[in-house]
Amino acid sequence: MATVAERLFLRRRIVNGLSLVLSGLAALFGLFWLVWILWTTFTKGVDAMSLSLFTEMTPPPGQDTGGLLNAMAGSLMISGLAVLMGAPIGIAAGTYLAEYVNHRKLGEVIRFVNDILLSAPSIVLGLFVYTVVVRTTGGFSGYAGSIALAFIVLPVVVRTTDEMLRLVPIQMREAALSLGVPQWKVTVQILYRAAAPGIITGVLLALARISGETAPLLFTAFNNQYWSTDMTGAVANLPVTIFQFALSPFAYWNKLAWAGAFIITVFVLLVSVTARYILLRKKMSHD
Amino acid sequence: MNDHIVTSFDNELKRLDGEIQRMGELAISQLDAAIDVLQRRDSAAAMRVVANDEAIDTLEHQVSHDVLRLLALRQPMARDLREVYASLRISSDIERIGDYAANVAKRSMVLNQTAPVSAARGIPALAKLANTLVHDALQAYHDRDADRALAVRGRDADVDAEYTGLFRELLTYMAEDPRQITACTHLLFIAKNIERIGDHATNIAENTWFLVHGEQPEGEREKRDTTAQ
Amino acid sequence: MTNASIAFTTAVPTATELEPRAAKLSARNLAFHYGDFCALKDINLEVPEKRVTSLIGPSGCGKSTLLRVFNRIYSIYPGQRASGEVILEGENILDPKYPLNKLRSKIGMVFQKPVPFPMSIHDNIAYGISHYERLSKADMAVRVEGALRQSALWDEVKDKLKQNALGLSGGQQQRLCIARAVALKPDVILFDEPTSALDPIATGKIEQLIAELKQHFTILIVTHNMQQAARCSDYTAFMYLGELVEHGVTSTIFTKPTKQQTEDYITGRFG
Repeated sequence: MATVAERLFLRRRIVNGLSLVLSGLAALFGLFWLVWILWTTFTKGVDAMSLSLFTEMTPPPGQDTGGLLNAMAGSLMISGLAVLMGAPIGIAAGTYLAEYVNHRKLGEVIRFVNDILLSAPSIVLGLFVYTVVVRTTGGFSGYAGSIALAFIVLPVVVRTTDEMLRLVPIQMREAALSLGVPQWKVTVQILYRAAAPGIITGVLLALARISGETAPLLFTAFNNQYWSTDMTGAVANLPVTIFQFALSPFAYWNKLAWAGAFIITVFVLLVSVTARYILLRKKMSHD
Repeated sequence: MNDHIVTSFDNELKRLDGEIQRMGELAISQLDAAIDVLQRRDSAAAMRVVANDEAIDTLEHQVSHDVLRLLALRQPMARDLREVYASLRISSDIERIGDYAANVAKRSMVLNQTAPVSAARGIPALAKLANTLVHDALQAYHDRDADRALAVRGRDADVDAEYTGLFRELLTYMAEDPRQITACTHLLFIAKNIERIGDHATNIAENTWFLVHGEQPEGEREKRDTTAQ
Repeated sequence: MTNASIAFTTAVPTATELEPRAAKLSARNLAFHYGDFCALKDINLEVPEKRVTSLIGPSGCGKSTLLRVFNRIYSIYPGQRASGEVILEGENILDPKYPLNKLRSKIGMVFQKPVPFPMSIHDNIAYGISHYERLSKADMAVRVEGALRQSALWDEVKDKLKQNALGLSGGQQQRLCIARAVALKPDVILFDEPTSALDPIATGKIEQLIAELKQHFTILIVTHNMQQAARCSDYTAFMYLGELVEHGVTSTIFTKPTKQQTEDYITGRFG
C-alpha cells in the first residue's frame, strides 16, 4: 500500500522523466534544422565547390566556370571596414557607460537607446544610409555599405563592452587606484586587459552578425560583377551575389549561390566558435 | 612536530616552558638547601632559604599572567591548550613545593634552639626520596615523557610509607622521653611537609601524563600513608 | 654550601613589552557621510608607527569606512565625503590640495578579495612602480624580487615570473597583492579583512607575514575575526555604530577592557 509520500514521489519522477524527454526532443529539433541547412547548402553547392571558388571571379550568365573571389574579397573589405568604424566607437561608448555613468540616469537612457538601435530592422538602416549617403554622393559605394553595417556593429559592441566591463570586480579598480594610478590609465591598462576576452568576443559576434546581412547592402554597396577594390564605387559582396544568383534561371549561378551560402554559414559558425573559445579560455584561467 | 606558521606563538610557548623550568630548578635547590641547613643546624643559611622563596612566587605570578595572555590572544587548541593548562597547574605545584621547602628551613631555625635530637636522623632519608621524586617529575615534564611520569606516580607510595615509619618512630620517642616532645613535634611537621612535597611532585607527574595523552592516568594513586588509620 | 644566588641552567627569553611609539597617522574629529547617512562620528585615533593596529567591531560599525578614508579611495564614489583631519607627517591628507598619487604612494592598501591584475606576476608588481619611477629592466627586476621576498612569495614564484598571475592559488594571490603594495615602499599599509577569503593555512602565512612586515611598515588592519586581531595586532580599536568606543594595547583589551560595550562584544554577549 503506497503511502502518500511515495505516490507524490512517483508522480514527480514521471513528470521529471517526461520533461527530460520533451526538452531533449526540443533540443534535437533545433539542432536538426542547423544540420539540415548545412547539409542542404553543402550538397546543393558541392558541384561548384572547388579551389576555383577562391580563385576566380563571378562568371557572366551562362558560363559554366567561375568562382566567388571578388564577392568574398568585397565582403571582407566591407565587413572589415564596418568593424573598424563601429568597434572603436562602440568600445569607447561602452566604456563611458560602464565607467562614468554606470549608475546614473544618463546611463540608463543611453542603454535604452542603444537597445533600440540593436533591434532596428537592418533594412531600415540600409534605407537610411541610402538616403543620406548614396543619394548625396550620387551612387552606390563600398563606403556606404560599410557605414550601414557599422550601424549594426555599433550597438552590439556597445552592449558587450558595457557588460564585460561591468563584470570586472570593483576591487580591481580600487586596487589599481590604490596604487596611485590615474583613472583613465586604470581603464585602459587594467580594465581593458581584464575584459579583453569579452570585448573581443563582442566584436567577433558583431562580425558574425554582419557577415550575412543582405538588406542594407542592397541599398548601399549593391554589387559588382568584376574585381574592384575601389570602395567609392559598387563593390561585390557575397550576400547580394547570392541573392542575385539564387533568383536567376542559370544553373551554374544557382550552384554558386548554394556554395556561397555554405561558405557564409561556415564562416559565421567558425567566428562564433572562436568567440566562445576565447571566452572559455578566460574562464578556465580564473580558478 | 612542526613549528607554528606564526613564529611568535612558538616563542611565547617556549618562554612559558622556560619559566616553568626555572621555577623547577629553583624549587629543587631550595629543597636541597633546606635539608642541608637542617642537618648542619645553620640558622643564618636557613634565613636565606626562606628569603629566596620570593623568587619562586614571583615566577608563579609571571606564569599566571602569561597563561592568561596566551589563552586570550592565541586561542590554543589540542596539545597547545593542554600545554598551557598543564603549565598553570604545574607552576602552582612547584610554588607549593618551594613553600614547603622554605617552611622546613624556617622550622629548622626553631629546632636549632634546642639540643640536637637523634630522631632527626630519619629526616634526610625521607627528604632524599622526596627530592628524587621531584627531580624525576620535573625531568619527565621537561622531556614530556609520560611513561616516566607514570613511574613517578607509582613511587609516591614509597615516600608515604617512609613517612609513616618516621611518624611512628617519632611517636615512640615522644612517649619514651617527654622532654623531646617539642623537638619531635617540629620534626613531625617537617616530615609532613616533606611528604606533601612528594604529593605535589606526583601532581606534576599526573599533569604531565594529561598533557601528553589528554586524559587522566588510570587507577587510583596508591597511598600508603596509614598514619590516619 | 647553601647558594644564595642560584645559577639557572635554562635561559628565559624576556617578554617584549611594547615601547610606546609616536603616531604615524592621526585622525582628528573625523566624520564621514554616505549621502545623508553619517557613518563615522567624530573619530580621534592615533596609529603608532611600525606597529599593527587592528579595527574590530560588529557589521556596520564603520571600520572599513574608516580604513578607506585613509587612502581616500572613497573619492571615486559620488556622495561620499569626509570631514575633519587626518594627519600624516604633519600634513592633512584630506585636504583637496594634497595630491592623490602622493597619498597613495605613502599609504598602500590590500583588499579582502585578492585581485591580481590580468598580467604576468612580474608585471603586476612593476605596474605600480612604473608610475612613479623610471627604472631600467635590471633595476626593476631587483625591485620586483625585493618586494616578492618581503611578501614571502619569492621562493614560490621565482621560476614563473612571466606567467599569468591568475594561475596562483588564493593565498599566493593575496601575497602578490601585498607585494604590489610593498613595492611602492609606502609608510603605511592598510589591510581590509585580508584573510577572510582564505583557508586557515593561508591565513596563518599572511599573519606571519604581517608580523614580519611591521618591522618596516605601519600597519592598520580591519578584521571581523577578533581572534585574528588578538593574534596579530599590538593595538586594538573597538568601534560601534560609527564611534570609536575603546582603543588600547591588545592584551589589555582582550583581558580587561575598560568599557562594558567592548567586553560584551569580545565575550559574545552582543545583541
